[in-house]
Amino acid sequence: MSTQVGNEDSVVIDVSGLTKEFGRTVALQGASLTVARGEIVVLLGLSGSGKSTLLRHLDGLETPTSGSVRVLGQEVPRLTGRRLRALRSRMGFVFQQFDLVPSLTVLENVLTGALSELRGPRIGLWSYPKRLKLTALGHLDRVGLLDRAYQRADTLSGGQQQRVAIARALMQDPEILLADEPVASLDPESSEQVMSLIREIAMDEGLTVVCSLHQVDLALSWGDRIVGLRHGEVVLDTPAEGLSKAEVMEIYGRVATSTTELEAIEVELSDAAADAAAETHLADGALRS
Amino acid sequence: MSLITATPPAPSAPPPAPSPSIADRAPRRRVSPERIAAILALGAIVVASVIALADSGISIPSMIESWGNAERFFARVGTITFPEPGELVYLTALTIGLVLCGTLLAAVISVPIAYLAASNTTPGRGWQAFGRFVTVLTRAIPDVVLAMVFVLMFSLGSLPGILAIGIHSIGMIAKLFADAIEQIDEGPRRAIRAAGGSKLQEFTSGILPQVLPSWVATVLHRNDINLRGSVVLGYVGVVGLGMEMSFAFKSLNYSEGLGIALVMFALCVVMEIVSSVVRQAMLGGAPTGRGLGDRVVRLAGRAGAKRGVETTPVARPAVSHDLDAALRRPWDAVRIRNTVWGWLAFAVVVGSVLVCNIQWGDLITFWAKVPEIAVQFWPPSFGNYDAATMFGAMAQTIGIALAATLLAFVVSVFVGSLAARNVAPNGTVRTSMRLLLVVIRGIPEVILAIVLIVITGLGSQAGTLALAFGGIGLLGKLIADSFEEVKPGPERALRATGASRGQVYASATLPQGTRALIGHSFYLLDTNIRAATILGIVGGGGIGYYLLNAGQGSNYAVVTAIVLMILVTVLIVEGIAMWMRRVFK
Ligand SMILES: Nc1ncnc2c1ncn2[C@@H]1O[C@H](COP(=O)(O)OP(=O)(O)OP(=O)(O)O)[C@@H](O)[C@H]1O
Ligand SMILES: [Mg+2]
Repeated sequence: MSTQVGNEDSVVIDVSGLTKEFGRTVALQGASLTVARGEIVVLLGLSGSGKSTLLRHLDGLETPTSGSVRVLGQEVPRLTGRRLRALRSRMGFVFQQFDLVPSLTVLENVLTGALSELRGPRIGLWSYPKRLKLTALGHLDRVGLLDRAYQRADTLSGGQQQRVAIARALMQDPEILLADEPVASLDPESSEQVMSLIREIAMDEGLTVVCSLHQVDLALSWGDRIVGLRHGEVVLDTPAEGLSKAEVMEIYGRVATSTTELEAIEVELSDAAADAAAETHLADGALRS
Repeated sequence: MSLITATPPAPSAPPPAPSPSIADRAPRRRVSPERIAAILALGAIVVASVIALADSGISIPSMIESWGNAERFFARVGTITFPEPGELVYLTALTIGLVLCGTLLAAVISVPIAYLAASNTTPGRGWQAFGRFVTVLTRAIPDVVLAMVFVLMFSLGSLPGILAIGIHSIGMIAKLFADAIEQIDEGPRRAIRAAGGSKLQEFTSGILPQVLPSWVATVLHRNDINLRGSVVLGYVGVVGLGMEMSFAFKSLNYSEGLGIALVMFALCVVMEIVSSVVRQAMLGGAPTGRGLGDRVVRLAGRAGAKRGVETTPVARPAVSHDLDAALRRPWDAVRIRNTVWGWLAFAVVVGSVLVCNIQWGDLITFWAKVPEIAVQFWPPSFGNYDAATMFGAMAQTIGIALAATLLAFVVSVFVGSLAARNVAPNGTVRTSMRLLLVVIRGIPEVILAIVLIVITGLGSQAGTLALAFGGIGLLGKLIADSFEEVKPGPERALRATGASRGQVYASATLPQGTRALIGHSFYLLDTNIRAATILGIVGGGGIGYYLLNAGQGSNYAVVTAIVLMILVTVLIVEGIAMWMRRVFK
């Protein structure tokens, strides 16, 4: 215990022996992960390997079957009610599907990020204090969408919506930013834009980032550190620098011991190839038009 | 490994003995006992409906005869007259205001009930069961019965009507509210939870904005229903057009009674149009800039420009890094539209409350009267009537409902199918059928029944016809909508094989729509049972007649007994309907 407290300043996330079962499915199996303040960590792994489940545990959206999840010096599964909400407000979470309220304005969506510091329900822009509105507008400016503040959220493109979601997370003035496949539903160009925005902001604000990704290339060029998950176990944890795509793929392959796993990897690889083909297609289209 | 040694997924069936014939090797078609029971029950209900229809005495000769009655009647009435204009305007405003207040009361109470009843927001199974129970119970007690009770408890005024409508409407509104909550996208809500928002904030910021359009549509829809129903409330002493009408008919002043009926009819049509316009404006999703509100805004904008007022362009403001400037939300079309709608709605609500002239004091004094009145209602008894008469009357009410449902069903399948885009042979047929359905829905069935009863004096026969007619409007539309919603794939596939239009309908459209067809028909039966009770109150035969008599003769124990009979019947029908929907899934 005392050593943990001593580490609190540098270690912001400390997961050990985390196991999560959904009925018969084992989503996480003794996963361990330590992240220091300011690190930018990428989670990689096949579909179903437990990336989302791990991220959701960090934010207390899931209760572990066993194991410990310490974030910012607090044991997350032990927290409930107001104290859990207080901890959550120190972590921003960006989701694959953006998860904006479609019928609200962009500005009000950003403001919902500040709900935890306000007491009680808020309906309509007028119900938020001016100070917060100014902050929200500032964050919108930061993500380059100030001119869209009063548009409905569902009138924006996917990439723009994700940038609004980032602004919403910034409203919390977070110490940690969690992102679950933030660019999986975006085209390559918007992906590029969103990912560099996240990195830029993280560097500026000294944020700790844990982000799950599917694109190995992107992960290698973007993250400081790569953590590989397979069947809910951490099978890879190295600095991204000097790591090649082949090495990552090789690690995927080498750790696959049974036939079914190899099949799964082949499927994944052919999916990736199909994705790549689709991307070229898109790029072609863009060139032609 | 599992790829090669795949076993057929039939663990419960005995392994088929190897046999040369395909017919022998094919698995037997197994129908679950429950399904057989449901099919038998459905058959029994249909047979009962046919018998009821045969018993109701509806026949071509009697219709021709009643046509003669009608001619004689109108000859006697002479001209239709209306109350004084001032009086008429006041009564109309009072009726609308009362109905709106009642519907809004129900809407407000329905929010927490729906929150408890929706599976994704309920705090626990117990709470959910409680929420569901409230919706079923409030729906089962007809508003007329509630109004009769409340008229006793309050000194005259609008409160009995408001409370009766308010409580009875909770059932439908809360159920539809809960359905809407269950259909939301969970994402925004999860995002607010992840940011540390409380449960209440999850609801107000994550759920409410998503369900609001559908909630408003539900409330407007219910308001239309309540306006139609308000006529009957007048018969048990709730102020408004309905009461004037009942007075007129009771004093044999037919020309004025018919005049008020005509006004009521016009009111229902206008209300239906207004609410469909508002619904459209709300449900449009992302603004199109082509709605009524937008047109109003553009007109106003033009007028404003003429007066020299500075109007901000509709598009987004220029890129600016001046946050203070950005703090001022531009008055673009959307904001103007929302503000105009908001204030309009507010004005309508305030106007309604004012015109109702609610005796708020009654809400306090009424509690003192509750025990005294409650004892009069308990224990239930049949009083001077013998049980056979009462059960006979209840059976007659059920018979009216069954016969009306059957008649409506037969016509609706025909009209509703032709009104579906994917069934109608061409656009003209579809449009004219849709139009027909709208016109039918526009005619309030209670008024139709009252007028039919007054004119022809046919009792339960007029009631059955009126109910069947109204049922076509509802069921026909529901059938058309659900046929249009079936998956187009199977229809396309069949057409591609060269199947005829009729074959595509029978083999692709109908099978996919069957479940909805059964569900909607039971929904109609459900509403018809309640409506048949009400018809008795206005003179259409059945249990309603005894209910009104008992109420007016202060035999409250009899009222309780009858209400319990109605409640049990409604709950049984509701139970059967739920079972059918589950079995025929
Ligand atoms: N709420 C749940 N109920 C049941 N099983 C679940 C639930 N959430 C996750 N799982 C299971 O846990 C395993 C890990 O899922 P998870 O979503 O964490 O994977 P992932 O790595 O994020 O996959 P993807 O890349 O497809 O998003 C999967 O087998 C999934 O089916
Ligand atoms: Mg995932």
